[in-house]
Amino acid sequence: MSDANKIPDALRLRLPGGYSLPPFGLHQILALATVAIALWALGLLWLGMQTARQWVGSWQSEIVFHLYLPQEKAAGLPALQHAVAALPGVAKVSAIDPQEASQRMQSWLGDSGLTQADLASRLPYTLEIAPATEAPELFAALGELAPKHGASINSDEESLANARNWLSELDWVALFVTLILLAATAMIVSNTLRMTVLSRADELALMRLLGAQEWFVRMPFLIEGVVIGGGGALAAWLLLWPIIFGAGHWLAAFSLTLDGLSLLPPLLLCGIIAGAFGAFIATLRTRDDPAEHG
Amino acid sequence: MAETPAIISMQQLMLRYKTGKTALAGISLDIAPGSFVYLIGESGAGKSTLMRLFYGDLRPSSGRLTVQQTAMRDASDGEIRQLRQKTGIVFQDHRLLFSRTVFENVALPLRVQGWPMERLVSRVRKVLGFVGLEDRLWSYPEALSGGEQQRVAIARAMTSQPPLILADEPTGNLDEETANRVVDYFMELNRLGATVVMSTHDLRLLDSHPGRVIQLHAGALIADSGAVR
Repeated sequence: MSDANKIPDALRLRLPGGYSLPPFGLHQILALATVAIALWALGLLWLGMQTARQWVGSWQSEIVFHLYLPQEKAAGLPALQHAVAALPGVAKVSAIDPQEASQRMQSWLGDSGLTQADLASRLPYTLEIAPATEAPELFAALGELAPKHGASINSDEESLANARNWLSELDWVALFVTLILLAATAMIVSNTLRMTVLSRADELALMRLLGAQEWFVRMPFLIEGVVIGGGGALAAWLLLWPIIFGAGHWLAAFSLTLDGLSLLPPLLLCGIIAGAFGAFIATLRTRDDPAEHG
Repeated sequence: MAETPAIISMQQLMLRYKTGKTALAGISLDIAPGSFVYLIGESGAGKSTLMRLFYGDLRPSSGRLTVQQTAMRDASDGEIRQLRQKTGIVFQDHRLLFSRTVFENVALPLRVQGWPMERLVSRVRKVLGFVGLEDRLWSYPEALSGGEQQRVAIARAMTSQPPLILADEPTGNLDEETANRVVDYFMELNRLGATVVMSTHDLRLLDSHPGRVIQLHAGALIADSGAVR
């Protein structure tokens, strides 16, 4: 191609297919910043969920429930142990006799002033029950079963049983908040692009009058939506790092770590999808009634 | 010998707006390929409405309208897009994009049709040469006079070599001399084989640049100098 037929660099349309990206002005920068803030909040929520899962995971393997059977009802221990083992959600049942319990208590209490025989005579038989990973109803079932055998349950352990259920419910809340924040992101992108679409309405109408396919008309705006969504996600991810570094030392004391790298792919994906969806809404055609002239 | 089919054909064409106003009432006529046709009539006679029907911006309420073998009443959006790619349209207000260069304006129909980038400049340079604006390739429309802007619009309409050119009052905002030059370009395009349909208020052009004259009044056809029925 001769120099005369070259498009000057300043005018060269760089996007594939000859698309020209709309000018990236103040509106777009503000939209990108707002999207970044919304996605930053989302990233914080995910970091919180990540930490909560680690925290629960760090002790949930040690969760055990305890049933106590008075010494005078010791004859019923095998039946109770059998009945407990038959309950759904029970991973392991161990019987602890009063002597073993008294040894454990001596080691916990130190110098209690009691002899081991004194302690053993006062302690009940104990069943130590380790729940399976998914056993949300086990604590309630044990609570119903124990009185039938003259035993009692350590009701203080209910909060342990509930912690995992609370986390599961928190997952749903996190999903809901995620959807709300993504919808907000899509609306922000959509509003920004709608303004651009309106400011370029003549150009878009002209393209359609020249027989342009809808994808040809919409593609620059879809690309812009993806750029705003993806750029906002990247900015949000970068803004998470001060939090990760700041809270990291404090959380390390609890053997918890924050994995910031793993948040980048889902944040980018969410930003891009929300941006593309917002652009799609912004470029939906509105059918006008024919004007009466001519 | 088989008769060449009309490039535009209408039978009892009618357009009624949702408000109930009848814009066009029972128009029947054929326009042969290669003709040069003027649409004349007072403001509100239906000239622009008829033009918009020709490129699918409006759809007939009843009757039959066929443009380049496309039945406009039942045409799909895809068929209308195809038709528009085969039709050059020039508007009274030329509808140039002032934020784009002359090159980008004239190249737009080609980009819409997916022409490769490397062929655009040579093609645009050629059509701008036809309207005498080859040296304004990289100018912006606001730097051009009204007549030059309309010539750019003509260049844009002819750049993909459409067989049909629709010009809706293209000389409405121009002085007599510039208007004559603009119609000269349409005449030249017609001589090169394009069918030109041009609506106008300027009856002097009919003497200086003769063609078939179709007159509308209140949405009805009242005279046709070239009717062959």
